[in-house]
Amino acid sequence: MAAVIQDTAVSTGRVTRVLIYLLLLLFALFYLLPLYVMGINSVKPLAEITGGNMMALPEVWTLDPWRSAWSTAQIGVEPTGLKPYFLNSILMVVPAVAISTIVGALNGYVLTKWRFRGDTWVFGLMLFSCFIPFQIVLIPMAVVLGKLGLAGSVPGLVLVHVVYGIGFTTLYFRNYYAAFPTELVRAAQIDGAGFFQIFWRILLPVSGPIAVVSVIWQFTNIWNDFLFGASFGGTSQPMTVALNNLVQSSTGVKEYNVHFAGAILAALPTLIVYIVAGRYFVRGLMAGSVKG
Amino acid sequence: MGFLDIRNVTKSYGQVEVLHRVDIAIEEGEFLVLVGPSGCGKSTLLNMIAGLEGISGGEIAIKGRVVNGVHPSKRNIAMVFQSYALYPNMTVGQNMTFGLEMHGVPKPERERALADVAKLLQIDHLLDRKPGQLSGGQRQRVAMGRALVRNPDVFLFDEPLSNLDAKLRVDMRTEIKKLHQKLKTTIVYVTHDQIEALTLSTRIAVMNKGHVQQLGTPKDIYDTPANLFVATFMGSPAMNIIPARVVARDGVPYASVTDAEGAPRLLRFSQTNLAAWDGRDILLGIRPEAITDPEGADRKSQNIQTLANRVTVTEPAGSDTFVTMTLGGRDAIARMRADASVAAGQAYDFAVNMEKAVAFDPATEMRILP
Ligand SMILES: Nc1ncnc2c1ncn2[C@@H]1O[C@H](COP(=O)(O)OP(=O)(O)OP(=O)(O)O)[C@@H](O)[C@H]1O
Ligand SMILES: [Mg+2]
Repeated sequence: MAAVIQDTAVSTGRVTRVLIYLLLLLFALFYLLPLYVMGINSVKPLAEITGGNMMALPEVWTLDPWRSAWSTAQIGVEPTGLKPYFLNSILMVVPAVAISTIVGALNGYVLTKWRFRGDTWVFGLMLFSCFIPFQIVLIPMAVVLGKLGLAGSVPGLVLVHVVYGIGFTTLYFRNYYAAFPTELVRAAQIDGAGFFQIFWRILLPVSGPIAVVSVIWQFTNIWNDFLFGASFGGTSQPMTVALNNLVQSSTGVKEYNVHFAGAILAALPTLIVYIVAGRYFVRGLMAGSVKG
Repeated sequence: MGFLDIRNVTKSYGQVEVLHRVDIAIEEGEFLVLVGPSGCGKSTLLNMIAGLEGISGGEIAIKGRVVNGVHPSKRNIAMVFQSYALYPNMTVGQNMTFGLEMHGVPKPERERALADVAKLLQIDHLLDRKPGQLSGGQRQRVAMGRALVRNPDVFLFDEPLSNLDAKLRVDMRTEIKKLHQKLKTTIVYVTHDQIEALTLSTRIAVMNKGHVQQLGTPKDIYDTPANLFVATFMGSPAMNIIPARVVARDGVPYASVTDAEGAPRLLRFSQTNLAAWDGRDILLGIRPEAITDPEGADRKSQNIQTLANRVTVTEPAGSDTFVTMTLGGRDAIARMRADASVAAGQAYDFAVNMEKAVAFDPATEMRILP
């Protein structure tokens, strides 16, 4: 980062710099406030929340809300906690992200390096799929899942998300590979590499940045999806649906501290993905524009 | 039958034919250069030999085996691309042995081939680097090394020097020529630089608009161009093309050209058969180096004619001085010794080596054969 700061053409005075940092700090605090509220209230006994200040630090620190949210809270009719749903989400999101990214990469490879008659049409149609609202496909999708015998199962959800995600991942990889020199593919053909060898040995090793973009995009979308999960989840509903059931339950007292803990649990994986891969994300988004 | 045969090959994209019945037989060990202006189909022809482009008509055979439809990797050819096309994620060593690996050559053998070629090209110290860490000239060497390692029947080069700066280009040109003389490999080399074509080749195919205009040795192409296109494309500065009329005196043909003042001047032809063209217009082709100061004229020539004319401009260029004059209503360039005493505006007696002059039929633009 130091290099970036040194690179800026405009040199700023000391006072302006302090002002800028103060302003940035203020914004950062503002954005962190909700997280603070959630964090602080998830480690308080319920009485402190209902009786007192939401903003205050807890008088008695406790991890019970977290334990409850994870393993004992009432979700719908069962007192299972969020744990089984969290696992459902993981079982759904990992294969769905992996498959849609790999298929997107293969599509991008074929659409740029193995052009065929009507390839721009195919790509146009795939792009079009990015603009179809979720609601429109609900009923046809339900019919298809039913016919395939995948309704109400994790594989069914994986299929739905893969189908829905391919449009985006294809777009990413196609634009990235369009800037990749075709002469390299020709050289590899002369060298005797086949379709998959060229993909595996020549293209994939330089696809890191765009793969990160695709993974982050797909991960956040699939993890945070509610509509497909609620519609097709059946008995294997994902985390988002379970969290909704936890928070919206109309029976008994509202355990805000448990709700806060559950909400953090639900947001944690995407948060981690962003923190780990975030800087590659920006780099990958830039890569296409700089090279192309 | 040659080593590499291109028989009546055509190429069409949809309705558009971009190569028309190209017919070239290349012997083993030959260095054939395909040269021509941009868009004339050189790369297309090379890619068809490589198998990267389909063949619309005719056939291509390597060592007597027709390779139409054979996969590029099964033709035993290697190609050096204009952009070098080095795999960015692999080291130089991996780049060079990738082809062998794909062909299932065992590792010890690959290592041996790599070591030999790396030594030959003096890139042993670069083998562990990535292409991004190399200079243009080094990348060029690696690209050639990748081709050499395979020990193919035919090497294909597509403008391999055009991304280098002027000095390096000349060095690498010499290097490629040395390599060819040492290894005696069969090479097809594409360029649009006529100097590269003349210096490197054993034979040149001059192409224009998808037609081979002339196929011959550099000397054939330079001294006896088949038509106006070849005459003006090859050579720098270009051949002077001067409108002239043939005048026969006692059966001896002369070219009558008008000087700067519009007065006719006679230059005797060496080709006696031009007497048949008595009274008709032709285009007279004379290379700049065939018009000199009298002291600089070729002593071996049997036919030096004197041409009195006014000098328009002189351009000293170090080793030579280029002199421009008006001849037949057009600018003509003479190439003089550097210390020839000649000044702009002056009347001067030029020495014209008519042995080297060629005549073209203005209607067909073809050379009138002697
Ligand atoms: N895929 C294609 N579809 C249609 N026309 C093409 C295609 N590829 C090449 N052409 C045409 O074929 C002709 C020959 O192209 P080619 O690339 O062989 O030229 P070149 O002689 O190599 O030129 P340069 O010196 O610029 O590389 C050009 O007129 C070009 O427009
Ligand atoms: Mg070309």
